[in-house]
Amino acid sequence: MAPLLQLTNVTKSFGAVRALRGVSFALQPGEVHALLGENGAGKSTLIKVITGAHAPDDGTIEIGGQTITHLSPNKARTLGIACIYQQPALFPDLSVAENIALRLERTSLLHRVRRSQRDTHARELLHRIGAEIDPAAEVRSLSMPEQQLVEIACALGAGAKIVIMDEPTASLTQKEQHLLFAVVRDLRTHGVGVIYISHRLEEIFALADRVTVLRDGETVGTNRVDEINETALIRMMVGREVTAIYPPARNTPGETRLALRGLGCAASGVRGIDLELRAGEIVGLAGLVGAGRTELAQTLFGLTPADAGEIQLGGQTVRIDNPRTAVAHGIAYVPEDRRRHGVILEMPIAANITMAIHSQIFPGGWLRSAAERKLTLDFMRDLEVKAAGPQAPGGSLSGGNQQKVALARWLATQPRLLILDEPTQGVDVGAKSEIYKIIRQLAAEGLAVLMISSDLPEVLGMSDRVVVMRGGTIVAEYPRGAEAHEVMAAALGQKQREAA
Amino acid sequence: MQKYSRELTVAGVLAALLLVLAVTAPAFYEPQPLLSRLAREAPTLVVACGIALVMVTRQIDISIGALFAVCGVSAGLLASAGWPLAAVLAATVFVGALVGAINGVLVAGLRLPSIVVTLATMVILREGLRWWQQGAFINLPDAWQWFGLSQKGGQITLIGCALVILAVLAWASRHLAGVRFLYAVGSNAEAARLAGLRPQWMTLAVFVFMGALTGGAALMNVVQSPQVDPKSGTGLELNAIAAAVVGGVAVSGGRGNLWGVFAGVLLLACINPALTYLHVEAYWEKAIQGAVILLAVIFDGLRNRRNLS
Amino acid sequence: MLRHETILLLVLVAEWFYFNAVGRRFGTLDNTFDIMRHSAEIGLLALVMTPIILTGGIDLSVGSLLGLCAILFGKLWRDAGMSLPMAAACTLLIGAGAGGLNATLIAGLRLPALIVTLGTYSLFRGFAEAITHGVDTFTNFPDSFLALGQQHFAGLPTQVWFFLVVAIGVWLLVHRMTFGRSFRAIGFAPEGARFAGLPVERRLVLAYVLAGFVAALAAIIYTARLGQAKADAGTGYELFAITAVVLGGTSIFGGVGSVHGTLLGVAAIAVLNNGLVHARQPREVAGMLTGVLLLVALGASALPKLLAKLRPPRHAPAPLSSPTHPS
Repeated sequence: MAPLLQLTNVTKSFGAVRALRGVSFALQPGEVHALLGENGAGKSTLIKVITGAHAPDDGTIEIGGQTITHLSPNKARTLGIACIYQQPALFPDLSVAENIALRLERTSLLHRVRRSQRDTHARELLHRIGAEIDPAAEVRSLSMPEQQLVEIACALGAGAKIVIMDEPTASLTQKEQHLLFAVVRDLRTHGVGVIYISHRLEEIFALADRVTVLRDGETVGTNRVDEINETALIRMMVGREVTAIYPPARNTPGETRLALRGLGCAASGVRGIDLELRAGEIVGLAGLVGAGRTELAQTLFGLTPADAGEIQLGGQTVRIDNPRTAVAHGIAYVPEDRRRHGVILEMPIAANITMAIHSQIFPGGWLRSAAERKLTLDFMRDLEVKAAGPQAPGGSLSGGNQQKVALARWLATQPRLLILDEPTQGVDVGAKSEIYKIIRQLAAEGLAVLMISSDLPEVLGMSDRVVVMRGGTIVAEYPRGAEAHEVMAAALGQKQREAA
Repeated sequence: MQKYSRELTVAGVLAALLLVLAVTAPAFYEPQPLLSRLAREAPTLVVACGIALVMVTRQIDISIGALFAVCGVSAGLLASAGWPLAAVLAATVFVGALVGAINGVLVAGLRLPSIVVTLATMVILREGLRWWQQGAFINLPDAWQWFGLSQKGGQITLIGCALVILAVLAWASRHLAGVRFLYAVGSNAEAARLAGLRPQWMTLAVFVFMGALTGGAALMNVVQSPQVDPKSGTGLELNAIAAAVVGGVAVSGGRGNLWGVFAGVLLLACINPALTYLHVEAYWEKAIQGAVILLAVIFDGLRNRRNLS
Repeated sequence: MLRHETILLLVLVAEWFYFNAVGRRFGTLDNTFDIMRHSAEIGLLALVMTPIILTGGIDLSVGSLLGLCAILFGKLWRDAGMSLPMAAACTLLIGAGAGGLNATLIAGLRLPALIVTLGTYSLFRGFAEAITHGVDTFTNFPDSFLALGQQHFAGLPTQVWFFLVVAIGVWLLVHRMTFGRSFRAIGFAPEGARFAGLPVERRLVLAYVLAGFVAALAAIIYTARLGQAKADAGTGYELFAITAVVLGGTSIFGGVGSVHGTLLGVAAIAVLNNGLVHARQPREVAGMLTGVLLLVALGASALPKLLAKLRPPRHAPAPLSSPTHPS
């Protein structure tokens, strides 16, 4: 029987970054095929190619045995490909039933809406996936997992043959997970093929028929789930030659800059954090997406203030309710979402760099272009920012250089604790090693650094200590020299002892 | 029940107000003045329905007052020139739709913010009208007053027309696919685009429809006096928006019930006579209208914050 | 953006030449002073509207606030027996307070600026009408006061000096002080500004309170110029203010713009209005042209974006600086 989907030798690059290098992948009818890989391995690019959002540079796509050229999102939809993302594209003010109907019904203007029919149809679909959601409920009132279930109902209703689920259980409760598994199994019996992306190995073993591991844009291997074990999978995910060179650690940590005791923030799901950060030390914060690392950083920085536990700075307990207080206490945070929270693309580099230090560099509120220019040029030189000049707009810089400017902005506040959230994400290899050098130099100068990263080699190579988070709290801590699979196992929630 | 809490609250306040009036100023309920009052509000109701749909689409139109005057004057001129009712109605609605189309093209086509676009068209229309007519009143032929019916008959007809339009639109806003698309576009324009709903065309359509309704409402107003006042419609947009906001239509789009708008129109219409009968000066009307808008939007804002946390 | 202001300057020069040729009295010094006098109030409103629009907000209530402040000024002087300087000081405070109302709702309660200022647009005008019972006007101001609006001081019409002080002040605020940076950052990236530690709410409060304060100042000048204060003072001024700001190159979406652009915009509109009178055009034509001018200015800034979209989309590479989804 022809596979539902066959990708052969697919290549996709974005500028200098080669996201997919000759990936081959096949999905059989009635199969649950898991896709495994670290952050940055190429999974989301692969999905975008399958759904038609990106056109591959090379390679072929076959759907139901037919080679398809010029696959677009609309075409993909008509060919029966549906993707359930973590951020559903629903209408928050409308009911569940109406949302489903708008996605599935034809779009002629003048037909009469049969509310009862819509309700029944929605109820049917939701029942088939076992979701206890009232079709009349406003989508805005649903939790994120419930919204996901609605998306799944839509995919079902659209008669999709190929359903892609991107980390579907990331925020589901146990009960909801079981629901989801039942849905997935049901889809399978109807001949639907499911591409299931998840980091949770126990799910993959429970649900999937086959698993493909991606690493650095290549397929490492495809195996039947009953022919492989977890250790082997983890080794496939992380084993790689170390291509990036991490500057060696040269210093012993100094005084404790920051101590957290039982820190928690109910709104963001962070709880019971006990952590010490010392001068001159780089602490790597590892974990999967959704583990709560960014949430912890934002609590430390005052964006989502803590409501439990203590923050101690230099021995004194402090309250950090907003970013300005955090900065005043010497805490700086370089955010993960560079586009929305980082460098303002429309404003010049100089303005971006001085944005957090207005009261220091511009006393009385008067702009002083000479001082700003000097500061900017100094940073551009020290961080090796390649740009036309200090007045060049942020948007004219490459990703790596934008990241350096973001870093400069926060270094200008002369922090005592620097929190970096995914500092090299989307940055090419050359700029990465420059940034690593900078970070190590900062630590050598006495800064305490907390580095959040999903790039395991980076975490292992850069950190003096690795702290692993899972489910909003810290689950493990490793000194320098830890093994990748140990850290990954902790992040995944694997028990340490396992059959080899 | 909770879903309609806003509309029920407004209806409750309205009922309370009516009760207070019944007790303290029963003269309010004398049939002839009451009928006149309702007939005068009929055009406002029609326009408020239109602006509600515009707001549901997450847009706004503050040019409707000026357009109302322009359409009224056009109707008056055509009527004086001897055109029959049907032709005048068609022409007036057409003029309204045309201006609406201009608004729509600028907002949907050029992606300009509707507040500024309709601010500009409002001034162009108002000044243009003043230039054209120099503030002159237009005398209507006798046969035109109250559609040629008796005053009472005419008033009942007008109220009836407004209610029919309200009922049709209220039905459409729940049961007609095209109108439901407006709610979708207002709720999440990007998701609407992905679902194939064509937000730009829907936005254009709603502005054209708003213009057409304004034209119709203008005619409804014209037949109520022997002359057409070129300054009619002053403040109409504020009135209509206030009624819509009070009635539960959100400025952010995607939600709103036309029956709530109805209650809002009635509530605001009662405020002025209530002031009179309570011996408060009518000059407080605008201030109260402003306060009502602010209170409604504060109430919504606080409720949203509570829901989010 | 410099290109935009250059174009505007050329338009201004063109207007000047045209009206000079067409109207006899146009190019005289007296007429220039007239232009200045008539545009001072709108100019003031346009100046303070600029920071607000830079933050991505809007204030539709400035014209109504002008009317309210004008009659309050008159009332404080005539009925409460205050001296004129005292009444003026109180009026300025009231204006700032009214701006504070807008600020509380917009910055404090995070309500949309559009509908809030639509509400206060009604509220302020309504108060003005209620207090004056719709008919009361305040007149018979002493000549010393009327000199503010009708006489000269050191060679220029008196109110122009106030205008210049405010113009310089707002220009410095936006272009030479950190406030301007904050306004732009808030306009470009409201969340990003917060993440960068900028005091977003405080800056917004400054913008709206300043607008209220200057609206009150404009009200006093208006009263001095006309010699009377009525409840309908300032009707329609918000349109002119917004038009001047947008004409001057400030984007209605925030972030981009300049105070000198606004000044050019005010000049262009003022010269247009005055010139049309001299060209014996009815004043309604001026109003219509202002509206058309606003649409043209908006359209001109939107066109390049639109044309870019219409070009056939290549499969653009994903921006490397895009956030976070795991691959």
